[in-house]
Amino acid sequence: MLLVVERDVKMFLNRKILLFMRALWFIAQISLFGLIASEMVIIPNYFEYYASGVVIILLYSTAMYIGYDIYEEAEHGIVEYLLSLPISRRELAVGRSIGGGLRSVIYVAPLMGVVFILIGVGDPLRLLVAIASLFLFSFGVAGLSVTLAMGIKSPDKFDIFMGVLDALIVRLSTVMYPQAFIQQANPAYGWIAGLNPLTFVADLFRWGAGLERYLTFNPLISVMAVMLFFSVFTFIGIVFYERKLEGGGWE
Amino acid sequence: MGVSNIPYIIERDFRRFYRYRWWLAGMVSMNLADLFILALVYTRMVRFDYFKFFSPGITVTALFAAAFMIGREVNWEVRRDYYHYLLSLPVKHWELALGRVLSGGLRGMVYMAPLLLTTFAFLGFPTLPQAMLILSVLFLLALGVSGLGIAMAASTDSFEKFAVMRGVTYYLLFFCSTVFYPLDLLQSLGERGVIPNFLTILAEVNPLSCGADLIRSFLLGKPPFHVNLILPVLAFSLPITAISSITYVKILRRRA
Repeated sequence: MLLVVERDVKMFLNRKILLFMRALWFIAQISLFGLIASEMVIIPNYFEYYASGVVIILLYSTAMYIGYDIYEEAEHGIVEYLLSLPISRRELAVGRSIGGGLRSVIYVAPLMGVVFILIGVGDPLRLLVAIASLFLFSFGVAGLSVTLAMGIKSPDKFDIFMGVLDALIVRLSTVMYPQAFIQQANPAYGWIAGLNPLTFVADLFRWGAGLERYLTFNPLISVMAVMLFFSVFTFIGIVFYERKLEGGGWE
Repeated sequence: MGVSNIPYIIERDFRRFYRYRWWLAGMVSMNLADLFILALVYTRMVRFDYFKFFSPGITVTALFAAAFMIGREVNWEVRRDYYHYLLSLPVKHWELALGRVLSGGLRGMVYMAPLLLTTFAFLGFPTLPQAMLILSVLFLLALGVSGLGIAMAASTDSFEKFAVMRGVTYYLLFFCSTVFYPLDLLQSLGERGVIPNFLTILAEVNPLSCGADLIRSFLLGKPPFHVNLILPVLAFSLPITAISSITYVKILRRRA
């Protein structure tokens, strides 16, 4: 299983251009949009709020990338190769889920470090809890991506679904703006944001960074929500991958 | 023959455009989410109506993304040696080049149209001369963007290099523009030294800023209409359209 994890991490880290572009996006978001928007909005020190949110967006989008890898493997006939390896389907499925989450945390870690340098760090113990929750969250997102990829089995449909999901899940969460303003804009948006896993993990990250004044929920509730998200989607992702890998059906 | 071949090239490119319907649907949902979620929430966070401010901005963003997309196809053609086929067609090379730039621009206009109508619906309709001017300037902008995409795409047979060039262009043109934030804010930040002054200048002459601000000037009255909202678009689009057409043909001939 460790070999499966290692393979996924290596594959991702070899995509130098993709990683470079994500890093560039991150820098542009923080140094241009974040800086300028913080002077535009009425929230004091919005920069620290926004910068911490960008870390969560980056973590989410990189963890989601495992779904695209699965399609690429299907397109190049690598699925058959994977099935022929002397490892069980379950080991392969668990390995993919762990690898998908782990590689996104490894990639985001240095950029997260930059954000911590910019906004500071609070209690180290809280920080550890926050980082642990980021791990769980990214495993859950990788599980979600695997579930969608294996459930849809059509790269076109997957692409549009990811586009719509990405557009909605990021914007209907507290990663870019506090819950109070979302609620004011539209109570339905506020309600969705209150159930969004990105809201909980963003809350925990800000709590770990000492930005308690922006919290939407009690950190304990957020920890439980992230654990639930992790458990459900990692489990479903593994089951889907294990059951649907064989039998073809790829469009 | 002659000019009559250009419509065939445009038709072909339009047919190919709708092959990317999934990608387009994803992009539409992103644009709409930006407008109806992000802009509505930001309206509560700033001291002006951000929804009204951002609506022209997202229209120009959509125009840029759709017009630039032809570069993706041209790069694919270069990578797969498909240009041999294109150059062998009974079409003059300048027709091929001009047809590609025009189709890229027109695709941008078609994709942008529903967003522009949404902007008109929420901000009010311009007078007929104003609407004509808006459409003309946006079409010129779309041509320039399409030309830029084609020139970049044809200059490399590596998708990675093209992706980097595209990404840097996107970030530079979008974030250093008035698509997301007003120019007076950027100017005040520049004066206070929060951002370097060259970013303010770049935002001022950025053709995307001009496109968005032209719509704002007619529909919101701010910034006031000025010929300087048109000149940078002309200065960007006319040379780029010409240079990219020449570059496209030259590069393809050299490769062949």
